Amino acid sequence: MDATETAAVLARARQGDSDAFRALVEKHSRSVFRLAFRMTGNEQDAEDVVQESLLRAYRQLGRFESRAHFGTWLYRIVANCSVDLMRSKQARHDQVRGDSLDEAMELPAADVPGPERMTQSAEIERRVQAALRELSPLERAAFTLRHYEGRSIDEICETLGLGTSAAKHSVFRAVKKLRVALAPLQSQES
Amino acid sequence: MHHFTEDDLTLYYYGEGRVRGDIERHLESCAACAATYCEIAGTLAMIAAPEVPERGDQYGLEVWQRIRHTLPEQESSAWAALAAFLRPGRLAFAAAAAMLVIAAFVAGRVWPGQPVDTPAVSAPQSAGTLARTIAASGDSRQRILLTSVADHLDRSERVLTDIMNAPRGDIAAEQRWADDLLGASRLYRQDAVDAGEGSVASVLDELERSLLEIVHSPSRISAADLEQIRRRIDAASLLFKVRVMSDELRKREGAPDRSTPRSSTSTRVTS
Repeated sequence: MDATETAAVLARARQGDSDAFRALVEKHSRSVFRLAFRMTGNEQDAEDVVQESLLRAYRQLGRFESRAHFGTWLYRIVANCSVDLMRSKQARHDQVRGDSLDEAMELPAADVPGPERMTQSAEIERRVQAALRELSPLERAAFTLRHYEGRSIDEICETLGLGTSAAKHSVFRAVKKLRVALAPLQSQES
Repeated sequence: MHHFTEDDLTLYYYGEGRVRGDIERHLESCAACAATYCEIAGTLAMIAAPEVPERGDQYGLEVWQRIRHTLPEQESSAWAALAAFLRPGRLAFAAAAAMLVIAAFVAGRVWPGQPVDTPAVSAPQSAGTLARTIAASGDSRQRILLTSVADHLDRSERVLTDIMNAPRGDIAAEQRWADDLLGASRLYRQDAVDAGEGSVASVLDELERSLLEIVHSPSRISAADLEQIRRRIDAASLLFKVRVMSDELRKREGAPDRSTPRSSTSTRVTS
């Protein structure tokens, strides 16, 4: 689909043409899923985000400015849907998330596997996932955008609707927490 | 000596910050900051992007099937509503529809009546309208499209018939066939939409859903799952619609009939 075609499809979708919207869904679903998975770290959650994002996009198509890039606009919706989903899960599970880094990074001693049970990369992955789960939704979103998606701080601000300071702060806190979680492995390496 | 904070070094790692040159020079001369930076960089380098589960080429279509019935109302401004009402496509469609109604009325008054034995379903009627529209416009590309759609429907009918009569067990062959048809079906449906024939597109859409279901079933399918697919094909009267529409497209276009007369077949098929 070239730029002219995309513009025409978008115009039709904005008029409520569901077939035109279908073309957009078919074109963007995989990239939406990829971002949603990186954001949530969970396949089922990612699927939920895909659906919710696309429904939200359809509802808000009237707000989309045709001079903007649809993919970028949708990207923003997916990122925010992911944050919303993580927040609602957090609230549902009523997890008390302390601000203390030590508290956030505590892993049960029994969970620490010996070298015979797990390779180091698997252990890193396990600790990274555990640490990411302990981040606040905003921290996780900002870190994902910065670290995995390679977005600049300015782009993170735009995507998540944050000020520069808040975006930076979210990334910094996430990095600090991850450093604490991965410190034992770091010292093993050095 | 002015040291840099961990946050500064984090930004530096990511290629951001306004004092990158200063940090670079500082790291060459300050062992403490260089050690901190090494630690930050080492940690972040360990964090690789998670492997994203693979999603196939049909994923977009699967997502669409999941959300299509739950599309919400679009938020619209007064301008958007006005633009929607006045958009050229809609006015052109209304004009074309008005012309068709007038043409049909005149034709009905002038031409002798013919017995019509076509079953009263909406799909063949709209296929006839499509054919008349195309004949009137003399658009040869569209004529080829009609013939292609009819051929496509014939092939799809054979797959569906195979599924309806397949012995329990392995449907791998039917799945490969259905997979081949799926891509073409989507293109034809889009063409039908572009031609303004919603009902034709609708039948192709139903067909697509069944093909998709066949493709995504396990090839060693259980009797219960196979029965469920059959029930859905049956409930949608899909074979019936596909046959009747194919017949109608061929009749209207004057294409050579297939070896099996479809009209007689279609009248035997009941939902």
